[in-house]
Amino acid sequence: MTVRPPTLREKRRYVLARVLPGGMTVDPKELYFAVAEAVTSLWGDDLASRVHPAVLAIENGCAFIRCRRGTERELALALSTVTSCAGQKIALRTIATSGTMESLRARLQETARGAPGALPAGTGISFGGKDVEVIFCESQKIDVVEKGFKNAARFFLTTQDLEDK
Amino acid sequence: MTITDLGLRPYPVGDSSIRRMALEARGLGYDSLVAVGVPPGDYYGVAVREGIMIADMPAKDAAAKAKRAADGRLVMVRAGDNGFNRAMIGVRGVHLLCGIEYADRHAFDHVTAKMAADNTVAVDISLAPLILRRGPARQKALDRYRDILMLSRKFSFPLTLSTHADSVLSMRSVREVSGLAATIGFDLDEIEQALAFAGSRHAGSTPVREVP
Repeated sequence: MTVRPPTLREKRRYVLARVLPGGMTVDPKELYFAVAEAVTSLWGDDLASRVHPAVLAIENGCAFIRCRRGTERELALALSTVTSCAGQKIALRTIATSGTMESLRARLQETARGAPGALPAGTGISFGGKDVEVIFCESQKIDVVEKGFKNAARFFLTTQDLEDK
Repeated sequence: MTITDLGLRPYPVGDSSIRRMALEARGLGYDSLVAVGVPPGDYYGVAVREGIMIADMPAKDAAAKAKRAADGRLVMVRAGDNGFNRAMIGVRGVHLLCGIEYADRHAFDHVTAKMAADNTVAVDISLAPLILRRGPARQKALDRYRDILMLSRKFSFPLTLSTHADSVLSMRSVREVSGLAATIGFDLDEIEQALAFAGSRHAGSTPVREVP
């Protein structure tokens, strides 16, 4: 098979989106299904076929999502309607759009996550009269789950919330 | 211009503390928040005001509650049928009519629109149905919002844009809110006015509190 010359190749754009909540493992294939469903339900099959979204990789809690050039806005809006992936509540925050994954990786280095939090994962603390366990901590943000419950809901707090208790 | 997100429901109703929501809001481009059931304050540089949500009560009780809380505080009333909406729009102290997408199609007509314009009562366009719903439910919400937007252009009553988030995962950036509003048909000026309404309306007033 001959390779198409660059001028005849499809022009693409790459969108970098942070996956929330932090520290969660997301399967790229499952995320692709969630993104494709969001694009199709918001814009319909016609525009979805033009956007042609694809999840290329998930690195450092950020997803690299590809689309056709000129449809970045539609993709970014559809990403804002993604609310779950494989049954887990998630959110996607668009950080940047670029013509190459290389530049997005550079951008990812620049906007690297904040300083690691003071509380390591697994630390037991008390919040609102409940015993909770830290599952993710970054800078001032702390995510906790109630101890002793399977599939317990996450609570999103800050260091200051714990200081006040 | 103060860009404000409205109707937030932090912990214990939601799963995020108001501080965490404020921290997130700062990153998403907001200057202030209006949240239900939390003390007002300034968290991480984001001003938080307390809003009062009046819902699921007869018009007489709702009006009494709105009047009691009416000294410069942001009072939001969940829309009901046409008679309820007209009654509430006429009540001094009511600032916002929200949940219009859940109300009957005839709940907000041209007469109600004229009353809203005369009393400067805003109609809230919640983006939650656009984000959370799919298929006919989302189409219905879009249809209602386009109808409200058409009436707003004709009668000049204010609109607001909000996420009504109960979690940091439900919050959206100003850019995303603007983009979703544009899909409804808002132009740039209308988006700016809608995002700035709560801030401009209550600039310099005392923070709001919940009245039992």
